[in-house]
Amino acid sequence: MTLEELNVFVTTQANVGMEAYYWWCTGLMIIIHVGFLMYEVGATRMQNAVSSGVKNLLAFAFMIPTFWLFGWWIYLAFPTGFVPGDLEGYGVPWNVSMGPMLSDQATGVFWAAFTLFACTTASIFSGSVIERIRISAFVFLAVILGSVVWILAASWGWHPDGWLVTRFGFHDVAAAGCVHTVAGLFAFGVLLNLGPRIGKYNDDGSANELEGHSLVLSFVGLLTLIVGFFGFLGACLIWAGSDFGGWVNIYGAPATLSSFAFNTLMGLAGGMIGAFWYSKGNPFWMMSGGLAGIFICAGGLDIWYPGFAFILGTIAGIVIIPANNWLHNTFKIDDCVGAVSIHGVCGMLGMLCVGLFASGFPAAGDIPPSNLIGQIVGIITMALTGFVPGYVISYIMKSAGWLRVPDHVQKAGIDKAELGLQAYNQ
Amino acid sequence: MNTFPGESASWEGVDAYFTWANSSGMLVFLTLVTAAICLAVIIAAAKHESETSDNTK
Repeated sequence: MTLEELNVFVTTQANVGMEAYYWWCTGLMIIIHVGFLMYEVGATRMQNAVSSGVKNLLAFAFMIPTFWLFGWWIYLAFPTGFVPGDLEGYGVPWNVSMGPMLSDQATGVFWAAFTLFACTTASIFSGSVIERIRISAFVFLAVILGSVVWILAASWGWHPDGWLVTRFGFHDVAAAGCVHTVAGLFAFGVLLNLGPRIGKYNDDGSANELEGHSLVLSFVGLLTLIVGFFGFLGACLIWAGSDFGGWVNIYGAPATLSSFAFNTLMGLAGGMIGAFWYSKGNPFWMMSGGLAGIFICAGGLDIWYPGFAFILGTIAGIVIIPANNWLHNTFKIDDCVGAVSIHGVCGMLGMLCVGLFASGFPAAGDIPPSNLIGQIVGIITMALTGFVPGYVISYIMKSAGWLRVPDHVQKAGIDKAELGLQAYNQ
Repeated sequence: MNTFPGESASWEGVDAYFTWANSSGMLVFLTLVTAAICLAVIIAAAKHESETSDNTK
């Protein structure tokens, strides 16, 4: 074998390996949606169980074509702000780049991975609004969140040319900001306009617990979610192939899959233990705490000391419960699965922790090192990017009468009234 | 109808190899149909919900 043939062989194998890696990460990410489906259906009362599942599946189905239509282009075109860059047609759906090409083995699998990130973002929002949002309104809002809002935030802060990265040294390798904070705050904005389920609050302001029909289903769903998140987190790293040698993070700095393995598992365990202790053994909070433990570590998943990731996870597992209570008592929202607390609050804490405890880490090229100011700018940007469109668009939809299931349909049960189905034969 | 973008039965000089890769007009048309399907189904679902609400009263 000549040197030239060897070079072709190595490059070809690296490209095929890259394709295969993201292909399987994408498949694993679909398990996130199996988990979300079980989790949400279990958290729903029996009379609305089918519609909750349908809503969740539709988020998945609509995200795929809409992310192909405009989501991927938004990510590529808007790193500098609100003015699109000139991509010479790349990324728009009628361009040949958005279909099978012999010279491009990367675009399809990267698009697929990002599409599943988008589906995850929409599903985070999905759980918080169950049992009283109109399915059509949910699908529309999910498309806005999953194929526009989060990916715009990702273009700014989860892209090597994003303005948050190049100007402020923003560091958020596993999307604590653009996925979790944006989705959590978007959900918060919608919840303020959507209102609670009938019977959630009494006239004196006190709250009732509207328990889902299957804690076991939610329980297993949450653990399934965590399996799927290994695909999500794995796809957050870039397979640099033969060009750079090994892995780099999304900003192009050296990284290892081992760092993700250490810190994902330690954060998960810390979150479960912290929530188990604080909730006095509530399994819903224990598993949610595990997720929160991963999300609080997400910003610096490539650089944490695993013992510190465990401590951060423990804090997240504890914090989500009082944060959820405070949000409910203060704003009278009805976040059925605690998404604002688990994703929104822990996402913001995760970005803040990078600034507080991991400033000074060098980045690639001309990107400034990680720093507290950059992280604070990132937190504010991500929070506003999630909350403002969620609140404004849902307010307009509410004003148009296209947001909430009417009270008499809620009382009758959405499954029976709208779908003519019931989840179980009684 | 042969929509292969290159010479029939040859991969010579072919890069984008999907159906209608050489017809930008067709790609725009199919993109618009995809968008229209998504939009139409959301509108249809909203209409169904409104009708259901009226029938449930």
